[in-house]
Amino acid sequence: MSGAGIKEPILELRDIVFGYKLRRGENIRIFDGLSLDVKYAEFVGIAGPSGCGKSTLIRIMAGLIKPEKGEVLFRGKPLKKPTPRIGIMFQNPALFPWYTVLENIMLALIHEKDLSEKDKIERARVFLDMVGLTAFESAYPAELSGGMKARVALARALVSQPDLLLMDEPFSNLDQLTAISLRREVESLWLNQSMPPSSVVMVSHDIEELVELSDRIIVLTKRPAKIAGIIEVDLDRPRQRRSPEFYKYVDEVYTLLS
Amino acid sequence: MAILEELLTILVAVGISWARMTAALIISIIFSLCVGILAAVDRVAEKIIIPVLDILQSIPILSFFPIALYAFIIIHPVIGPELAAIFLIFTSQAWNITFGVYKNVRLIPLELLEASKALDLSLWRRLSSLYIPAAFPGIASNLPPSWANGLYFLVACEIISIGEVEWSLPGIGTLSTSYIMAGRMIEFIMSLAAVVAAVILTNLLVFIPLMRLSERYKFEERAAEIPRVWIEKVSGWLSRVARRISFSVSPRITLFELRIPWKASRILLIAVLTIMVALLGHSISGRVSAEVTLAWAQDVVEAFQRLGVVDPLVMIGFSLARVSAAVAFGLLWTLPVAILIYEKRTLEKILIPPFQVIASFPATLILPLIAKTVMDLGLPLELGAFLMILLGTQWYLLFFLLDGLRSIPYEEEEVCKALAMTRLQKLRHLYLPRILPSLIMGLIVCFGGGWNTLVIAERAVLGGFTWDLRAPGIGRMLSIAVDEGDLALLIAATIWMAGFIVLLNRLLWRRLYEKAVRIVGVA
Ligand SMILES: Nc1ncnc2c1ncn2[C@@H]1O[C@H](COP(=O)(O)OP(=O)(O)OP(=O)(O)O)[C@@H](O)[C@H]1O
Ligand SMILES: [Mg+2]
Repeated sequence: MSGAGIKEPILELRDIVFGYKLRRGENIRIFDGLSLDVKYAEFVGIAGPSGCGKSTLIRIMAGLIKPEKGEVLFRGKPLKKPTPRIGIMFQNPALFPWYTVLENIMLALIHEKDLSEKDKIERARVFLDMVGLTAFESAYPAELSGGMKARVALARALVSQPDLLLMDEPFSNLDQLTAISLRREVESLWLNQSMPPSSVVMVSHDIEELVELSDRIIVLTKRPAKIAGIIEVDLDRPRQRRSPEFYKYVDEVYTLLS
Repeated sequence: MAILEELLTILVAVGISWARMTAALIISIIFSLCVGILAAVDRVAEKIIIPVLDILQSIPILSFFPIALYAFIIIHPVIGPELAAIFLIFTSQAWNITFGVYKNVRLIPLELLEASKALDLSLWRRLSSLYIPAAFPGIASNLPPSWANGLYFLVACEIISIGEVEWSLPGIGTLSTSYIMAGRMIEFIMSLAAVVAAVILTNLLVFIPLMRLSERYKFEERAAEIPRVWIEKVSGWLSRVARRISFSVSPRITLFELRIPWKASRILLIAVLTIMVALLGHSISGRVSAEVTLAWAQDVVEAFQRLGVVDPLVMIGFSLARVSAAVAFGLLWTLPVAILIYEKRTLEKILIPPFQVIASFPATLILPLIAKTVMDLGLPLELGAFLMILLGTQWYLLFFLLDGLRSIPYEEEEVCKALAMTRLQKLRHLYLPRILPSLIMGLIVCFGGGWNTLVIAERAVLGGFTWDLRAPGIGRMLSIAVDEGDLALLIAATIWMAGFIVLLNRLLWRRLYEKAVRIVGVA
């Protein structure tokens, strides 16, 4: 799984330049020529100081915002707008409160013209089952705990069977136990060749989490963000957090961050 | 020269009308402070005041104007009509300001309340250093809509005839109606322009600085959007003057520093109350006895019998259909426009300022023009009524819809974008659910405005001629009762109309609103 250097990229970012315009007319540079790629079947972790532009990077990868300059290539073609082939899980679950859990997940199938309503329900149920919420399919988001909402958001990101899954601090708001079980689920899904997604990009503040899951960790610098270093994590899965090798990698990431 | 003289006449008329409005607004603010604060701090008072205000809010103001006029003429035959007009304007301005005060005082953080208790502040000190500053944003943000509302009724109440007797108060409503009746189009347009200019200036020089000042007294984190475009886009000296004024009133005051000169205002308040009580006592002692009251009650009962049950229901049915048609049409154009404005930020900067000006422009001023045009051209009379109701309602819808759209959380927008929804899908899955509560609120306000307009739209006596739909309508019934000087009939018809409106609010709108809030889920 690791050291997949020879593989083809599924997503390429080339010389990305991007800045936000502030109200007063100033422009803050977030990226000033950033390039990176994500390969097929790869799990990429992204770390960086707070406010450096990680969430912005995820949004550019999803096609939600367009860079001022540079190219985003998804499976070799320019990415013009969001596509169901890329699933995204935001830091905030952002479920629609007026739809049930099942309906929220089915919203991500809105483009599947070939599927009948019944098929859509069935598909949504498969993913609901996967995140362990079968019993809650007709509950409304207001009735769920934070961890359950995150699970629904994950199911919604996956139900369209995307090739690439983008996650922005997906487990940071969850309690330890929920986070552990969700991490396992994401990892096993990604490992399962017959199931989507092929590749995953995860932004996180939690360095152990990054080392546990990533093939490659890209560490960014402060604004404007550049690549401070890339760490290939060469450990067998499932990874043991207690081992000395594991800590070697954690230390490496810390060094790059500081 | 003639034009200049005419312009002067117009400006004087606007000045008189504005003075009338200001008087009413000051009374409204005093009322809202007394009643709103009382409702916010006292549980028992709250239980009485809020439902009563709710009902008062839904009674069509124009229908009880003639009743008020009678009452005030009894008090004093000469200044009575003037007082009645001010009273009418007051009733159109006071309720939403009162709700604003109530809401803001309710928002005072518990720690502050406890602190003021711990300091053992006297009632007056508590009012001046806590409640009134806290209520200030609620007052300030309600000033522009209240002013627009008042203007609407001002025009309608400057000319009134009951039976044979006609009163016309000096003011811009009377003046512009006389222009249109005389066919003097240039002067008529000049008077409209004067009103527009006065509205803009009032907002620019008074309301917006006040709203800015009030920002500091807010307890909520999220400050409401002040229409910046207004003040910032109007170039040159106007905004400079406005800013200078806002600064001269507002050396950085904190909550506890704002002290109202209580001695002076206390004396003023007591004086006003004494005069009012004295006038009331004087009028009642002379004229109202048990016998008279009984005779009146009998008259009203007899009027109810004359009306029957079927006729009023038919009239209300026709009126309801008219209002519904106008509101439906209004929705048809405001929904897409609101969405367009929401999605294109640049459009907002361009469209909102003129929309705000047009919205605060009293539609009643153009009613005579519509009536005359429709009759002169021989168009269907219903079209005229439709236009009048539309003019009186559509803006509420637009602003409520925009308000609802602006409350959409950014994350939900982003989810829709990430799911690559089409515009139609986004409309169905995000916009419609999110705007549902504001849409229903807008419809409630809209229907309220519609019922009010009916009293003029279905039949109105305009100077020399009469605009009459010649079809059933409860507004027409009211107008006829006024015309014939049949006060008992007027009261009976008003009770029918108000009763129906209150019932509709309770049975339909309130329930729909609660349901919508439940569906959307309060986050
Ligand atoms: N819509 C926006 N408009 C203006 N500035 C923005 C906007 N979104 C983010 N920024 C700014 O851009 C910078 C990068 O934001 P971003 O959210 O991408 O950072 P991040 O690395 O995800 O931070 P964190 O680790 O705190 O989540 C921040 O300084 C932020 O203030
Ligand atoms: Mg972030």
